Amino acid sequence: MLELLPPLNDKNLPWLDVIHPIIVHFVIAMALITVVFDLFGVITRKRNLFEVSFWNLVVATVSIFVAIIFGQIEAGLASPYGAARDILNYHSTIGWSLAGVLGLFTGCRYVVRQKDPTRLPAGFLVIDGVLATLVFCQVYLGDMLVWVYGLHTVPVVDAIRSGAVS
Amino acid sequence: MNATIPLPMMAIPSPINEIVDQLGANDLPYTIPIHPNLVHFTIGLFAIGIAFDFAGAFYPLEKRVFRFLALPVTRTGFHDVGWYNVLACSVITFFTVAAGFFEMLLAVPLPGIHSVIGQNAIDTMLWHAIGGVALLLIIVAMTIWRGYLRFVWRKDLGRQVTWLYLACGAVILLVMGIHGSLGAWLASEFGVHITADQLLAAGADLKEALP
Repeated sequence: MLELLPPLNDKNLPWLDVIHPIIVHFVIAMALITVVFDLFGVITRKRNLFEVSFWNLVVATVSIFVAIIFGQIEAGLASPYGAARDILNYHSTIGWSLAGVLGLFTGCRYVVRQKDPTRLPAGFLVIDGVLATLVFCQVYLGDMLVWVYGLHTVPVVDAIRSGAVS
Repeated sequence: MNATIPLPMMAIPSPINEIVDQLGANDLPYTIPIHPNLVHFTIGLFAIGIAFDFAGAFYPLEKRVFRFLALPVTRTGFHDVGWYNVLACSVITFFTVAAGFFEMLLAVPLPGIHSVIGQNAIDTMLWHAIGGVALLLIIVAMTIWRGYLRFVWRKDLGRQVTWLYLACGAVILLVMGIHGSLGAWLASEFGVHITADQLLAAGADLKEALP
């Protein structure tokens, strides 16, 4: 049955490059710019910025589910070693939680926006803070997997295949 | 005509050696590179900015769908996203390029490797560098163009952007995709600033060096 699966390349992937880090551009950038535009909207009283941050939040929420799908496939093919195993577990847990947090947050924003799109209750700035913190932690863990442990990079995949790393 | 005789590069050691005691195994004075993190913003903001201007341009076709979904949507709202995202992209991309140049000056790519398009490390780095500066200029030019469309040329029109602007945006995104791939290969194939790859190249045992 295994021969039915596509062959893996020198990065241990069935496709050219990792896809998860491309999709997360849209989660990271849109979630954090939502926080920035919310703050700017409050400070400058430019009410239309709340609409801009709402739409960015919608994009972040849709993207995170796509990011999780590719993240799970690529995590399954990553063969993490040493402390990278724990980091990958934390990254997965926060990733799924972030999907819930983003979904809930976007839902609340949708309800508030139905009533008056030019108003942002102060409580949302607190949730913005929580969201930004979670995203920062998540990005840091993901960065560790790529930039410290080199998962899905050619030399590390080579070392794992030769048994030098496990 | 001594100038025609190529000087072996090995005769002049890299200036990075002078500060090597201040750098980690990843050839940086810190663990996580900054440039790849700022890139999230450059790509995300530009792509979604252009996408929302497309949404604003095709608004007459979409409005029935939004009515069906009971989602209150305004055309101005879409174009606001198009403008503010591209504006934010312009601001942050200066830092993306600056961090990129700093980290490229310290880059030590693995030798003897060719990327999937057959480029060696230095070609990939040079193209990524020139492309980065070119893209910064293009993004800033697009933002200025977008500002004129919004505040001067089309300020009384429902569709705030011209089809030419949208077409340019789509082409730039394509170029950004190729450009980003060069950057991705610098990491995944050439091992630039990746601790594990650099340790392996130095002959270290990852079981001890990176437990």
